[in-house]
Amino acid sequence: MTAAIATERLTRVFGPVTAVDGLDLEVAEGEIFGLLGHNGAGKTTTVNMLTTLLPPTGGGASICGRSITADAAGVRRSIGYLPENVRFYDNLTLGENLRFFAELSGIRRPEGRIREVLRLLDFEGPYGQRVGTFSKGMRQRVGIAQAILHEPKVLFLDEPTSGLDPEGVRTLRETIVRLNREFGITVFMNTHLLTEVTKTCTSIGILRAGRLIHSSSLAETLAAFPDEESLEAVYFRLESQPVP
Amino acid sequence: MSSTATVARRELVALRRDRLLVVLLGFLAAVTLVSVIVGAAAFRAQLEAYQLYVQQLEQSGSSTRAAAPRLFPLQLLRGSVEYVEILGALFAIVLGYGAVATEKYRGTLPLLLSRPVGRFALPLGKLAGIAGIWLAVVVALTVLWTAAIVGIGSASLGPADLGRILIVGAFSWLYLVFWSALAVALTAVTSRLSLGLILAIVIWLTFVLIIPQLGDTMDPDNQVPGGLFKALEIDSSSEAAVIAHFATFEELRNFLESASPTKHFERLAFAFLGIDDDFNQKPIGVVWSGIWGYAVAIAAAGVAAVAAAALVTTRSNLQRTRS
Repeated sequence: MTAAIATERLTRVFGPVTAVDGLDLEVAEGEIFGLLGHNGAGKTTTVNMLTTLLPPTGGGASICGRSITADAAGVRRSIGYLPENVRFYDNLTLGENLRFFAELSGIRRPEGRIREVLRLLDFEGPYGQRVGTFSKGMRQRVGIAQAILHEPKVLFLDEPTSGLDPEGVRTLRETIVRLNREFGITVFMNTHLLTEVTKTCTSIGILRAGRLIHSSSLAETLAAFPDEESLEAVYFRLESQPVP
Repeated sequence: MSSTATVARRELVALRRDRLLVVLLGFLAAVTLVSVIVGAAAFRAQLEAYQLYVQQLEQSGSSTRAAAPRLFPLQLLRGSVEYVEILGALFAIVLGYGAVATEKYRGTLPLLLSRPVGRFALPLGKLAGIAGIWLAVVVALTVLWTAAIVGIGSASLGPADLGRILIVGAFSWLYLVFWSALAVALTAVTSRLSLGLILAIVIWLTFVLIIPQLGDTMDPDNQVPGGLFKALEIDSSSEAAVIAHFATFEELRNFLESASPTKHFERLAFAFLGIDDDFNQKPIGVVWSGIWGYAVAIAAAGVAAVAAAALVTTRSNLQRTRS
Protein backbone atom coordinates (compact mmCIF):
# COMPACT_ATOMS: atom_id res chain seq x y z
CA MET A 1 0.00 0.00 0.00
CA THR A 2 1.40 3.45 -0.89
CA ALA A 3 1.88 6.11 1.73
CA ALA A 4 -0.65 8.95 1.80
CA ILE A 5 1.59 10.81 4.25
CA ALA A 6 5.31 10.30 4.61
CA THR A 7 7.70 12.37 6.69
CA GLU A 8 11.46 12.14 6.84
CA ARG A 9 13.37 13.72 9.72
CA LEU A 10 10.68 16.43 9.77
CA THR A 11 11.78 19.12 12.20
CA ARG A 12 10.52 22.49 13.36
CA VAL A 13 12.49 24.73 15.66
CA PHE A 14 11.10 27.91 17.26
CA GLY A 15 14.07 29.82 18.68
CA PRO A 16 15.52 27.65 21.44
CA VAL A 17 12.57 25.22 21.37
CA THR A 18 12.45 22.17 19.10
CA ALA A 19 8.71 21.59 18.68
CA VAL A 20 9.05 18.64 16.30
CA ASP A 21 12.29 16.71 16.32
CA GLY A 22 13.22 14.51 13.34
CA LEU A 23 9.79 12.97 12.79
CA ASP A 24 9.78 9.82 10.62
CA LEU A 25 6.24 8.69 9.95
CA GLU A 26 4.20 6.89 7.31
CA VAL A 27 0.44 6.82 7.06
CA ALA A 28 -0.92 4.44 4.44
CA GLU A 29 -3.79 5.35 2.09
CA GLY A 30 -7.19 4.64 3.59
CA GLU A 31 -6.03 4.80 7.22
CA ILE A 32 -7.55 6.85 10.02
CA PHE A 33 -4.43 7.86 11.87
CA GLY A 34 -4.58 9.38 15.35
CA LEU A 35 -1.60 11.41 16.54
CA LEU A 36 -1.60 11.38 20.33
CA GLY A 37 0.38 13.31 22.86
CA HIS A 38 0.15 15.66 25.79
CA ASN A 39 -0.41 19.37 25.30
CA GLY A 40 2.75 20.89 23.83
CA ALA A 41 4.00 17.54 22.44
CA GLY A 42 4.17 19.00 18.90
CA LYS A 43 0.93 17.63 17.42
CA THR A 44 -0.42 20.94 16.06
CA THR A 45 3.02 21.97 14.78
CA THR A 46 3.18 18.65 12.89
CA VAL A 47 -0.24 19.24 11.31
CA ASN A 48 0.67 22.85 10.50
CA MET A 49 3.74 21.64 8.60
CA LEU A 50 1.86 18.86 6.80
CA THR A 51 -0.88 21.29 5.73
CA THR A 52 1.80 23.74 4.46
CA LEU A 53 0.84 26.43 6.97
CA LEU A 54 4.27 26.28 8.54
CA PRO A 55 7.53 25.58 6.72
CA PRO A 56 9.75 22.96 8.36
CA THR A 57 13.19 24.01 9.53
CA GLY A 58 14.59 20.56 8.73
CA GLY A 59 13.70 17.33 6.97
CA GLY A 60 10.71 17.01 4.68
CA ALA A 61 7.38 15.40 4.06
CA SER A 62 5.10 14.44 1.22
CA ILE A 63 1.35 14.11 0.90
CA CYS A 64 0.18 11.75 -1.85
CA GLY A 65 3.70 11.94 -3.26
CA ARG A 66 3.83 15.76 -3.33
CA SER A 67 6.50 17.54 -1.33
CA ILE A 68 5.15 20.01 1.25
CA THR A 69 7.95 22.43 0.40
CA ALA A 70 8.56 21.96 -3.35
CA ASP A 71 4.90 21.53 -4.33
CA ALA A 72 2.93 23.28 -1.60
CA ALA A 73 0.13 24.26 -4.03
CA GLY A 74 -0.22 20.64 -5.13
CA VAL A 75 -0.40 19.51 -1.49
CA ARG A 76 -3.11 22.13 -0.77
CA ARG A 77 -5.17 20.75 -3.65
CA SER A 78 -4.90 17.23 -2.21
CA ILE A 79 -5.86 17.96 1.38
CA GLY A 80 -8.78 19.12 3.45
CA TYR A 81 -8.13 20.76 6.78
CA LEU A 82 -10.20 21.42 9.88
CA PRO A 83 -8.18 23.47 12.38
CA GLU A 84 -8.82 23.50 16.11
CA ASN A 85 -11.27 26.26 17.12
CA VAL A 86 -12.22 26.86 13.51
CA ARG A 87 -13.89 30.18 12.71
CA PHE A 88 -15.85 31.24 9.66
CA TYR A 89 -17.18 34.51 8.31
CA ASP A 90 -19.98 35.13 10.77
CA ASN A 91 -21.89 37.60 8.62
CA LEU A 92 -22.01 35.20 5.65
CA THR A 93 -24.53 32.37 5.43
CA LEU A 94 -23.54 28.71 5.46
CA GLY A 95 -24.02 28.58 1.68
CA GLU A 96 -21.92 31.72 1.12
CA ASN A 97 -19.12 30.46 3.35
CA LEU A 98 -18.97 27.13 1.55
CA ARG A 99 -19.18 28.77 -1.86
CA PHE A 100 -16.21 30.97 -0.92
CA PHE A 101 -14.03 28.04 0.16
CA ALA A 102 -15.16 25.92 -2.80
CA GLU A 103 -14.17 28.64 -5.27
CA LEU A 104 -10.81 29.10 -3.53
CA SER A 105 -10.28 25.36 -4.02
CA GLY A 106 -10.86 25.81 -7.74
CA ILE A 107 -14.40 24.43 -7.99
CA ARG A 108 -16.34 26.22 -10.72
CA ARG A 109 -20.10 26.55 -10.19
CA PRO A 110 -19.90 24.87 -6.77
CA GLU A 111 -23.62 24.97 -5.87
CA GLY A 112 -24.27 21.34 -6.81
CA ARG A 113 -21.24 20.07 -4.91
CA ILE A 114 -22.16 22.17 -1.84
CA ARG A 115 -25.67 20.69 -1.78
CA GLU A 116 -24.23 17.21 -2.22
CA VAL A 117 -21.82 17.62 0.71
CA LEU A 118 -24.52 19.11 2.95
CA ARG A 119 -26.81 16.22 2.09
CA LEU A 120 -24.01 13.80 2.96
CA LEU A 121 -23.60 15.49 6.35
CA ASP A 122 -27.37 15.77 6.84
CA PHE A 123 -26.89 19.50 7.22
CA GLU A 124 -29.01 21.10 4.49
CA GLY A 125 -31.43 22.94 6.78
CA PRO A 126 -29.34 25.95 7.79
CA TYR A 127 -28.07 26.67 4.23
CA GLY A 128 -29.33 30.28 4.27
CA GLN A 129 -28.54 31.01 7.93
CA ARG A 130 -25.63 33.19 8.96
CA VAL A 131 -22.81 31.14 10.50
CA GLY A 132 -22.52 33.64 13.37
CA THR A 133 -25.68 32.13 14.84
CA PHE A 134 -24.36 28.53 14.79
CA SER A 135 -23.50 26.37 17.84
CA LYS A 136 -20.03 24.86 18.25
CA GLY A 137 -21.29 21.51 16.93
CA MET A 138 -22.79 23.13 13.85
CA ARG A 139 -19.54 25.02 13.22
CA GLN A 140 -17.60 21.76 13.31
CA ARG A 141 -19.95 20.37 10.66
CA VAL A 142 -19.36 23.47 8.54
CA GLY A 143 -15.67 22.79 9.10
CA ILE A 144 -15.98 19.23 7.85
CA ALA A 145 -18.09 20.40 4.90
CA GLN A 146 -15.54 23.01 3.77
CA ALA A 147 -12.74 20.48 4.20
CA ILE A 148 -14.26 17.84 1.88
CA LEU A 149 -15.85 20.10 -0.77
CA HIS A 150 -13.00 19.61 -3.21
CA GLU A 151 -12.88 15.84 -2.65
CA PRO A 152 -9.47 15.74 -0.97
CA LYS A 153 -7.46 12.55 -0.69
CA VAL A 154 -6.25 13.34 2.83
CA LEU A 155 -8.18 15.04 5.61
CA PHE A 156 -6.36 16.71 8.51
CA LEU A 157 -8.34 17.27 11.69
CA ASP A 158 -6.82 19.12 14.63
CA GLU A 159 -8.60 18.25 17.89
CA PRO A 160 -11.89 17.87 16.00
CA THR A 161 -13.98 16.95 19.05
CA SER A 162 -12.66 19.77 21.23
CA GLY A 163 -15.54 21.59 22.95
CA LEU A 164 -18.27 19.33 21.52
CA ASP A 165 -21.04 17.76 23.60
CA PRO A 166 -21.34 13.92 23.61
CA GLU A 167 -23.92 14.01 20.81
CA GLY A 168 -21.66 16.25 18.73
CA VAL A 169 -18.69 13.95 19.35
CA ARG A 170 -20.68 10.92 18.23
CA THR A 171 -21.97 12.64 15.08
CA LEU A 172 -18.48 13.79 14.15
CA ARG A 173 -17.01 10.33 14.79
CA GLU A 174 -19.62 8.72 12.55
CA THR A 175 -18.94 11.30 9.84
CA ILE A 176 -15.19 10.69 9.93
CA VAL A 177 -15.62 6.93 9.71
CA ARG A 178 -18.13 7.30 6.88
CA LEU A 179 -15.86 9.59 4.87
CA ASN A 180 -13.07 7.09 5.29
CA ARG A 181 -15.07 3.97 4.43
CA GLU A 182 -17.31 5.32 1.65
CA PHE A 183 -14.94 7.73 -0.04
CA GLY A 184 -11.56 6.27 0.85
CA ILE A 185 -10.33 9.52 2.40
CA THR A 186 -7.21 9.10 4.51
CA VAL A 187 -7.71 10.86 7.85
CA PHE A 188 -4.97 12.30 10.04
CA MET A 189 -6.28 13.56 13.36
CA ASN A 190 -4.69 15.13 16.39
CA THR A 191 -6.45 14.26 19.56
CA HIS A 192 -6.03 13.46 23.20
CA LEU A 193 -9.44 11.81 23.62
CA LEU A 194 -8.31 8.18 23.80
CA THR A 195 -11.83 6.73 23.83
CA GLU A 196 -12.46 8.43 20.48
CA VAL A 197 -9.21 7.07 19.09
CA THR A 198 -10.27 3.55 20.06
CA LYS A 199 -13.61 3.97 18.30
CA THR A 200 -12.32 5.79 15.22
CA CYS A 201 -8.66 5.23 14.36
CA THR A 202 -7.03 2.33 12.57
CA SER A 203 -3.48 3.37 13.46
CA ILE A 204 -1.85 5.66 15.99
CA GLY A 205 1.34 7.55 16.72
CA ILE A 206 2.44 9.00 20.03
CA LEU A 207 4.47 12.20 20.20
CA ARG A 208 6.41 13.22 23.25
CA ALA A 209 8.44 16.44 23.37
CA GLY A 210 8.43 16.56 19.57
CA ARG A 211 9.62 12.99 19.10
CA LEU A 212 7.63 10.04 17.83
CA ILE A 213 7.89 7.39 20.53
CA HIS A 214 5.42 4.92 19.01
CA SER A 215 3.73 4.31 15.67
CA SER A 216 1.70 1.27 14.74
CA SER A 217 -1.77 0.02 13.89
CA LEU A 218 -4.24 0.25 16.75
CA ALA A 219 -4.74 -3.50 16.77
CA GLU A 220 -1.00 -4.18 16.94
CA THR A 221 -0.53 -1.61 19.67
CA LEU A 222 -3.23 -3.15 21.84
CA ALA A 223 -1.96 -6.69 21.10
CA ALA A 224 1.54 -5.72 22.18
CA PHE A 225 0.26 -4.98 25.67
CA PRO A 226 -2.13 -7.88 26.44
CA ASP A 227 -1.98 -7.14 30.16
CA GLU A 228 -3.36 -3.63 29.71
CA GLU A 229 -7.15 -3.16 29.71
CA SER A 230 -7.48 -0.06 27.54
CA LEU A 231 -5.69 2.21 25.12
CA GLU A 232 -5.45 4.73 27.93
CA ALA A 233 -3.37 2.32 30.00
CA VAL A 234 -1.19 1.50 26.98
CA TYR A 235 -0.76 5.20 26.25
CA PHE A 236 0.45 5.99 29.77
CA ARG A 237 2.78 3.00 29.74
CA LEU A 238 4.33 4.11 26.43
CA GLU A 239 4.46 7.70 27.65
CA SER A 240 6.43 6.67 30.74
CA GLN A 241 9.17 4.95 28.73
CA PRO A 242 12.36 6.92 28.09
CA VAL A 243 12.62 8.79 24.78
CA PRO A 244 14.69 6.71 22.33
CA MET B 1 -13.77 32.82 -10.99
CA SER B 2 -10.14 33.58 -9.99
CA SER B 3 -9.11 33.45 -6.34
CA THR B 4 -8.59 37.24 -6.35
CA ALA B 5 -12.14 37.83 -7.61
CA THR B 6 -13.50 35.32 -5.06
CA VAL B 7 -11.76 37.11 -2.19
CA ALA B 8 -12.91 40.51 -3.53
CA ARG B 9 -16.52 39.39 -3.75
CA ARG B 10 -16.50 37.99 -0.20
CA GLU B 11 -14.96 41.23 1.06
CA LEU B 12 -17.68 43.26 -0.69
CA VAL B 13 -20.49 41.14 0.77
CA ALA B 14 -18.97 41.26 4.28
CA LEU B 15 -18.45 45.03 4.13
CA ARG B 16 -21.96 45.59 2.81
CA ARG B 17 -23.30 43.77 5.87
CA ASP B 18 -21.00 45.52 8.34
CA ARG B 19 -23.23 47.67 10.55
CA LEU B 20 -20.36 49.82 11.79
CA LEU B 21 -19.42 50.66 8.23
CA VAL B 22 -23.01 51.54 7.34
CA VAL B 23 -23.18 53.87 10.36
CA LEU B 24 -19.85 55.52 9.51
CA LEU B 25 -20.75 56.07 5.87
CA GLY B 26 -24.21 57.31 6.81
CA PHE B 27 -22.51 59.81 9.12
CA LEU B 28 -20.20 60.92 6.28
CA ALA B 29 -23.20 61.46 4.00
CA ALA B 30 -25.06 63.38 6.72
CA VAL B 31 -22.18 65.77 7.51
CA THR B 32 -21.69 66.28 3.78
CA LEU B 33 -25.30 67.34 3.46
CA VAL B 34 -25.07 69.59 6.51
CA SER B 35 -21.94 71.27 5.13
CA VAL B 36 -23.77 72.12 1.88
CA ILE B 37 -26.73 73.49 3.86
CA VAL B 38 -24.39 75.64 5.98
CA GLY B 39 -22.47 76.72 2.86
CA ALA B 40 -25.70 77.69 1.07
CA ALA B 41 -26.84 79.71 4.10
CA ALA B 42 -23.47 81.51 4.17
CA PHE B 43 -23.79 82.26 0.43
CA ARG B 44 -27.26 83.71 0.95
CA ALA B 45 -26.01 85.83 3.86
CA GLN B 46 -23.15 87.19 1.73
CA LEU B 47 -25.53 87.96 -1.13
CA GLU B 48 -28.02 89.68 1.15
CA ALA B 49 -25.23 91.74 2.73
CA TYR B 50 -24.00 92.70 -0.75
CA GLN B 51 -27.49 93.62 -1.96
CA LEU B 52 -28.10 95.69 1.19
CA TYR B 53 -24.77 97.46 0.66
CA VAL B 54 -25.62 98.24 -2.99
CA GLN B 55 -29.07 99.48 -1.93
CA GLN B 56 -27.56 101.76 0.68
CA LEU B 57 -25.07 103.13 -1.86
CA GLU B 58 -27.88 103.87 -4.30
CA GLN B 59 -30.00 105.52 -1.59
CA SER B 60 -27.09 107.74 -0.58
CA GLY B 61 -26.64 108.76 -4.24
CA SER B 62 -23.10 107.42 -4.31
CA SER B 63 -21.62 106.51 -7.68
CA THR B 64 -19.24 104.00 -6.08
CA ARG B 65 -19.44 100.51 -7.55
CA ALA B 66 -19.24 97.69 -5.00
CA ALA B 67 -17.43 94.53 -6.17
CA ALA B 68 -19.83 91.58 -6.13
CA PRO B 69 -18.73 88.56 -4.06
CA ARG B 70 -17.17 85.85 -6.26
CA LEU B 71 -19.61 83.09 -5.49
CA PHE B 72 -19.47 79.86 -7.45
CA PRO B 73 -21.92 77.00 -6.73
CA LEU B 74 -19.24 74.31 -6.48
CA GLN B 75 -17.64 76.26 -3.65
CA LEU B 76 -20.49 74.88 -1.53
CA LEU B 77 -18.60 71.59 -1.49
CA ARG B 78 -15.69 72.99 0.53
CA GLY B 79 -16.94 71.38 3.76
CA SER B 80 -17.64 68.09 2.00
CA VAL B 81 -14.11 67.90 0.62
CA GLU B 82 -12.72 68.61 4.09
CA TYR B 83 -14.87 65.83 5.56
CA VAL B 84 -13.63 63.39 2.92
CA GLU B 85 -10.00 64.32 3.54
CA ILE B 86 -10.29 64.05 7.34
CA LEU B 87 -13.17 61.72 8.27
CA GLY B 88 -13.05 59.75 5.00
CA ALA B 89 -9.34 58.99 5.55
CA LEU B 90 -10.09 57.82 9.09
CA PHE B 91 -12.93 55.56 7.93
CA ALA B 92 -10.67 54.23 5.16
CA ILE B 93 -8.11 53.24 7.79
CA VAL B 94 -10.78 51.44 9.84
CA LEU B 95 -11.88 49.58 6.71
CA GLY B 96 -8.36 48.53 5.70
CA TYR B 97 -7.46 47.48 9.24
CA GLY B 98 -10.66 45.45 9.63
CA ALA B 99 -10.13 43.60 6.35
CA VAL B 100 -6.82 42.11 7.51
CA ALA B 101 -7.38 42.00 11.29
CA THR B 102 -10.50 39.83 10.96
CA GLU B 103 -8.49 37.17 9.12
CA LYS B 104 -5.36 37.52 11.20
CA TYR B 105 -6.78 37.55 14.69
CA ARG B 106 -10.16 35.80 14.45
CA GLY B 107 -9.21 32.33 13.25
CA THR B 108 -10.16 32.20 9.56
CA LEU B 109 -6.57 32.42 8.34
CA PRO B 110 -5.64 28.69 8.59
CA LEU B 111 -8.58 27.81 6.33
CA LEU B 112 -7.56 30.44 3.78
CA LEU B 113 -3.88 29.56 3.79
CA SER B 114 -4.54 25.83 3.40
CA ARG B 115 -6.19 26.56 0.02
CA PRO B 116 -4.31 26.62 -3.29
CA VAL B 117 -4.49 30.41 -3.70
CA GLY B 118 -1.81 32.49 -5.43
CA ARG B 119 0.71 34.72 -3.63
CA PHE B 120 -1.17 37.96 -4.36
CA ALA B 121 -4.76 36.66 -4.42
CA LEU B 122 -5.48 37.52 -0.81
CA PRO B 123 -4.12 41.11 -0.63
CA LEU B 124 -5.26 42.07 -4.12
CA GLY B 125 -8.69 40.50 -3.56
CA LYS B 126 -9.11 42.39 -0.31
CA LEU B 127 -7.92 45.65 -1.85
CA ALA B 128 -10.24 45.16 -4.83
CA GLY B 129 -13.17 44.59 -2.46
CA ILE B 130 -12.33 47.71 -0.46
CA ALA B 131 -11.83 49.73 -3.65
CA GLY B 132 -15.24 48.52 -4.82
CA ILE B 133 -16.88 49.71 -1.62
CA TRP B 134 -15.17 53.10 -1.91
CA LEU B 135 -16.26 53.36 -5.52
CA ALA B 136 -19.87 52.85 -4.46
CA VAL B 137 -19.46 55.39 -1.66
CA VAL B 138 -17.85 58.00 -3.92
CA VAL B 139 -20.53 57.54 -6.61
CA ALA B 140 -23.18 58.04 -3.91
CA LEU B 141 -21.32 61.10 -2.61
CA THR B 142 -21.03 62.73 -6.05
CA VAL B 143 -24.75 62.18 -6.61
CA LEU B 144 -25.38 63.66 -3.17
CA TRP B 145 -23.10 66.63 -3.89
CA THR B 146 -24.86 67.35 -7.18
CA ALA B 147 -28.32 66.94 -5.66
CA ALA B 148 -27.41 69.13 -2.68
CA ILE B 149 -26.07 71.97 -4.83
CA VAL B 150 -29.12 71.91 -7.08
CA GLY B 151 -31.67 71.21 -4.32
CA ILE B 152 -30.30 73.14 -1.36
CA GLY B 153 -28.08 75.68 -3.11
CA SER B 154 -30.74 76.34 -5.79
CA ALA B 155 -27.96 76.52 -8.38
CA SER B 156 -28.01 75.16 -11.89
CA LEU B 157 -25.04 73.07 -12.98
CA GLY B 158 -23.67 72.75 -16.51
CA PRO B 159 -21.76 69.82 -18.01
CA ALA B 160 -18.42 71.42 -17.08
CA ASP B 161 -19.52 71.69 -13.44
CA LEU B 162 -20.55 68.04 -13.45
CA GLY B 163 -17.16 67.21 -14.98
CA ARG B 164 -15.43 69.03 -12.12
CA ILE B 165 -17.49 67.12 -9.54
CA LEU B 166 -16.63 63.84 -11.26
CA ILE B 167 -12.92 64.66 -11.28
CA VAL B 168 -13.01 65.48 -7.57
CA GLY B 169 -14.98 62.26 -6.99
CA ALA B 170 -12.37 60.22 -8.87
CA PHE B 171 -9.51 61.65 -6.83
CA SER B 172 -11.53 61.23 -3.62
CA TRP B 173 -11.73 57.52 -4.48
CA LEU B 174 -7.99 57.32 -5.09
CA TYR B 175 -7.30 59.20 -1.86
CA LEU B 176 -9.54 56.86 0.18
CA VAL B 177 -8.05 53.73 -1.44
CA PHE B 178 -4.60 55.07 -0.50
CA TRP B 179 -5.51 55.26 3.21
CA SER B 180 -7.19 51.82 3.19
CA ALA B 181 -4.19 50.22 1.45
CA LEU B 182 -1.84 51.84 3.95
CA ALA B 183 -3.87 50.35 6.82
CA VAL B 184 -3.88 46.93 5.11
CA ALA B 185 -0.08 47.04 4.81
CA LEU B 186 0.47 48.14 8.41
CA THR B 187 -1.96 45.57 9.83
CA ALA B 188 -0.35 42.80 7.78
CA VAL B 189 3.19 43.67 8.80
CA THR B 190 2.58 44.18 12.54
CA SER B 191 2.17 41.24 14.88
CA ARG B 192 -0.05 42.66 17.62
CA LEU B 193 -3.77 43.26 17.42
CA SER B 194 -4.45 47.02 17.11
CA LEU B 195 -0.79 47.97 16.53
CA GLY B 196 -1.39 48.39 12.79
CA LEU B 197 -4.45 50.51 13.54
CA ILE B 198 -2.55 52.67 16.03
CA LEU B 199 0.33 53.21 13.57
CA ALA B 200 -2.09 54.11 10.77
CA ILE B 201 -3.86 56.60 13.04
CA VAL B 202 -0.53 58.17 14.04
CA ILE B 203 0.27 58.60 10.33
CA TRP B 204 -3.25 59.97 9.75
CA LEU B 205 -2.80 62.42 12.62
CA THR B 206 0.56 63.57 11.24
CA PHE B 207 -0.35 63.91 7.58
CA VAL B 208 -4.04 64.80 7.77
CA LEU B 209 -4.11 67.10 10.79
CA ILE B 210 -0.70 68.23 12.03
CA ILE B 211 1.18 68.99 8.79
CA PRO B 212 -1.75 70.76 7.03
CA GLN B 213 -2.43 72.68 10.26
CA LEU B 214 1.20 73.74 10.46
CA GLY B 215 1.09 74.86 6.83
CA ASP B 216 -2.13 76.80 7.40
CA THR B 217 -0.72 78.45 10.51
CA MET B 218 2.41 79.50 8.63
CA ASP B 219 0.36 80.99 5.78
CA PRO B 220 0.35 84.78 6.29
CA ASP B 221 -2.96 85.07 4.44
CA ASN B 222 -4.61 82.91 7.14
CA GLN B 223 -3.75 85.25 10.00
CA VAL B 224 -6.88 87.35 9.53
CA PRO B 225 -10.39 85.96 8.97
CA GLY B 226 -11.28 86.39 5.31
CA GLY B 227 -7.62 86.71 4.32
CA LEU B 228 -4.88 89.16 5.30
CA PHE B 229 -4.28 90.48 1.79
CA LYS B 230 -7.98 90.99 1.14
CA ALA B 231 -8.29 92.90 4.44
CA LEU B 232 -5.33 95.09 3.43
CA GLU B 233 -6.90 95.49 -0.05
CA ILE B 234 -3.79 94.06 -1.73
CA ASP B 235 -4.55 92.48 -5.13
CA SER B 236 -3.18 89.15 -6.37
CA SER B 237 -0.18 90.56 -8.28
CA SER B 238 0.88 92.72 -5.35
CA GLU B 239 0.33 89.76 -3.01
CA ALA B 240 2.84 87.76 -5.05
CA ALA B 241 5.32 90.64 -4.83
CA VAL B 242 4.93 90.80 -1.04
CA ILE B 243 5.33 87.05 -0.63
CA ALA B 244 8.45 87.14 -2.84
CA HIS B 245 10.18 88.92 0.05
CA PHE B 246 9.61 85.82 2.20
CA ALA B 247 10.67 83.23 -0.38
CA THR B 248 12.54 80.92 2.04
CA PHE B 249 9.68 80.94 4.51
CA GLU B 250 7.21 80.17 1.71
CA GLU B 251 9.41 77.36 0.41
CA LEU B 252 9.56 75.84 3.88
CA ARG B 253 5.80 76.11 4.25
CA ASN B 254 5.23 74.60 0.81
CA PHE B 255 7.69 71.79 1.53
CA LEU B 256 5.82 70.93 4.72
CA GLU B 257 2.46 70.90 2.98
CA SER B 258 3.85 68.90 0.04
CA ALA B 259 4.71 66.09 2.45
CA SER B 260 1.02 65.50 3.04
CA PRO B 261 -1.09 63.57 0.50
CA THR B 262 -4.07 65.20 2.17
CA LYS B 263 -2.82 68.66 1.20
CA HIS B 264 -2.30 67.50 -2.40
CA PHE B 265 -5.86 66.19 -2.48
CA GLU B 266 -7.20 69.39 -0.93
CA ARG B 267 -5.33 71.66 -3.37
CA LEU B 268 -6.54 69.59 -6.33
CA ALA B 269 -10.16 69.51 -5.14
CA PHE B 270 -10.21 73.20 -4.19
CA ALA B 271 -8.78 74.11 -7.60
CA PHE B 272 -11.38 72.14 -9.56
CA LEU B 273 -14.25 73.35 -7.39
CA GLY B 274 -13.16 76.99 -7.68
CA ILE B 275 -12.64 77.30 -3.93
CA ASP B 276 -9.06 78.35 -4.64
CA ASP B 277 -9.40 81.94 -5.95
CA ASP B 278 -6.59 81.42 -8.47
CA PHE B 279 -8.71 78.82 -10.29
CA ASN B 280 -12.18 80.25 -9.74
CA GLN B 281 -14.20 80.18 -13.00
CA LYS B 282 -11.19 78.93 -14.99
CA PRO B 283 -11.71 76.25 -17.67
CA ILE B 284 -10.93 72.68 -16.64
CA GLY B 285 -7.89 72.57 -18.96
CA VAL B 286 -6.35 75.61 -17.28
CA VAL B 287 -7.02 74.16 -13.83
CA TRP B 288 -5.51 70.85 -14.89
CA SER B 289 -2.32 72.45 -16.20
CA GLY B 290 -1.94 74.24 -12.87
CA ILE B 291 -2.45 71.29 -10.58
CA TRP B 292 -1.36 68.17 -12.46
CA GLY B 293 1.54 67.74 -10.04
CA TYR B 294 -0.92 67.17 -7.19
CA ALA B 295 -2.81 64.62 -9.27
CA VAL B 296 0.42 62.74 -9.98
CA ALA B 297 1.35 62.84 -6.28
CA ILE B 298 -2.02 61.40 -5.19
CA ALA B 299 -1.88 58.69 -7.88
CA ALA B 300 1.71 57.82 -6.93
CA ALA B 301 0.80 57.62 -3.23
CA GLY B 302 -2.15 55.35 -4.07
CA VAL B 303 -0.10 53.03 -6.28
CA ALA B 304 2.72 52.89 -3.72
CA ALA B 305 0.32 52.02 -0.88
CA VAL B 306 -1.40 49.30 -2.93
CA ALA B 307 1.98 47.85 -3.99
CA ALA B 308 3.23 47.93 -0.39
CA ALA B 309 0.06 46.21 0.84
CA ALA B 310 0.38 43.50 -1.84
CA LEU B 311 4.06 42.91 -1.07
CA VAL B 312 3.88 42.76 2.74
CA THR B 313 0.64 40.76 3.00
CA THR B 314 2.55 37.49 2.90
CA ARG B 315 1.73 34.14 4.51
CA SER B 316 4.49 34.58 7.09
CA ASN B 317 3.47 38.15 8.02
CA LEU B 318 -0.18 37.15 8.34
CA GLN B 319 0.70 34.23 10.61
CA ARG B 320 3.04 36.30 12.80
CA THR B 321 0.81 37.24 15.72
CA ARG B 322 1.45 37.89 19.38
CA SER B 323 -1.24 38.31 21.98
